[in-house]
Amino acid sequence: MTKKTAKDTFENKLDRLEEISHLLESDEIGLEYAMALYQEGIELSKDCISTLKVAELKITQLKKNLDTLTTDEENFFEE
Amino acid sequence: MFEQTEILTVSELTRQIKQTLEEEFLQITVQGEISNFKPHVSGHWYFNLKDSGAVISCTMWKGNNSSVFFTPQDGIKITVTGRITVYPPRGNYQFDVRSMKPAGIGELQSAFEILKQKLSNEGLFDEEFKKPIPSLPRRIGIVTAIDGAAFRDMISIARRRFPLVELVIAPSKVQGSGAAENIVESIKTLNRKKDIDVIIIGRGGGSIEDLWAFNEEIVVRSIFESKIPIISGIGHEIDFTISDFVADLRAATPSAAMEIATPDKADYFAFINDFLYNSRQNITNLFDNKKNRILDSIGSYGFKMPLDLLRRKSQQVDGIVYKMSVNFDKQFLMLKNKLSLLSKSLESHDVKKTLEKGFVLVKQDSKFITRSSKFISGKETQLEFFDGEVNLNS
Repeated sequence: MTKKTAKDTFENKLDRLEEISHLLESDEIGLEYAMALYQEGIELSKDCISTLKVAELKITQLKKNLDTLTTDEENFFEE
Repeated sequence: MFEQTEILTVSELTRQIKQTLEEEFLQITVQGEISNFKPHVSGHWYFNLKDSGAVISCTMWKGNNSSVFFTPQDGIKITVTGRITVYPPRGNYQFDVRSMKPAGIGELQSAFEILKQKLSNEGLFDEEFKKPIPSLPRRIGIVTAIDGAAFRDMISIARRRFPLVELVIAPSKVQGSGAAENIVESIKTLNRKKDIDVIIIGRGGGSIEDLWAFNEEIVVRSIFESKIPIISGIGHEIDFTISDFVADLRAATPSAAMEIATPDKADYFAFINDFLYNSRQNITNLFDNKKNRILDSIGSYGFKMPLDLLRRKSQQVDGIVYKMSVNFDKQFLMLKNKLSLLSKSLESHDVKKTLEKGFVLVKQDSKFITRSSKFISGKETQLEFFDGEVNLNS
């Protein structure tokens, strides 16, 4: 189960904004529905902008495995 | 020089040969072409060194070959240093290599071409195997040297463009011996992690030897086998390693790789601003549309008709009422006249009957004299008889 991170919802919010944008362009949309969508769009926009503005780059460094170098010289002609 | 008459045992002969050869060839440098290269599981290398006239078998122990920055390939010329050793039980001699390097840059070029061709023929560079790079990554894995400029550059670019992303660094040597193994290990480690959307292999500029690890077969194969898409950002614009061909996407530099991997938050700001502008337009238009529909309806013929009808009808009524009143007046006048005429005639009719009897009407100054007291003698008088009027001059 993947943890829902800020980036998850950011992507979802952008997708929803795109969706709302298309819906609002259609000719056959009802007035109340359009108003509700517009409202939702404004909220999402504010969210996304603030998410981007406050985000700080997160850096994780993995532990490097120690090399194991052996210097044993084995016998000649090992098959 | 041995005496010809002495009878030697095989061991003794061989021992002397061994001593002679090993002392004579204690530290030599040889150049030749590699053939039959076999890296053993133990880590030791076995190969032949040859030229057109002779061949010598070689060994390079793990401890020595680990410092070689490239993996030898059959056909390339190398320069080696080392010593001759003799193995009595088998009765042969071999070259125990201490150090190895390509005979010249040209040799590395050949090795490059040979390996590239071999892997290309296997289909490792085919488009169909290239995975798409996700457009909005949550976690980016980076295989790079953490003490390099490439590392710092990539971080600053990620921070500037899209700080929402998380970078997962798998540190690795990026040149010299052991680098290829490191890189392979780092790629595998990142593949084991969850949620890494794309991997960048980044390394700054350098010579062909510096970048050689990225031409090693094990590195190329591990890039091919990676389940996570890999962007190669190795060297400068003009540098091409075999890793660049097998990667899912090649970037000219590590910085370019990070630019490709990350979206620019400026684009998102622009997208959101466009959305706000356009949607406000759309809403405004929607409102105007609805408003116009209402106005149109109100102004439409259908809507106006009852009012028009009403107006027309009331106008008609006015007209009729006017006509009626005019007529009425006319009629009234007519009737009044008629009545007065009739009454006059009625009156005169009465008078006529009296005159017929023999009475006479007396008039003076057009006025009827009905009393003797009113009679003015000497004035002109008219006498109205039944059958006419008579004038009496005084």
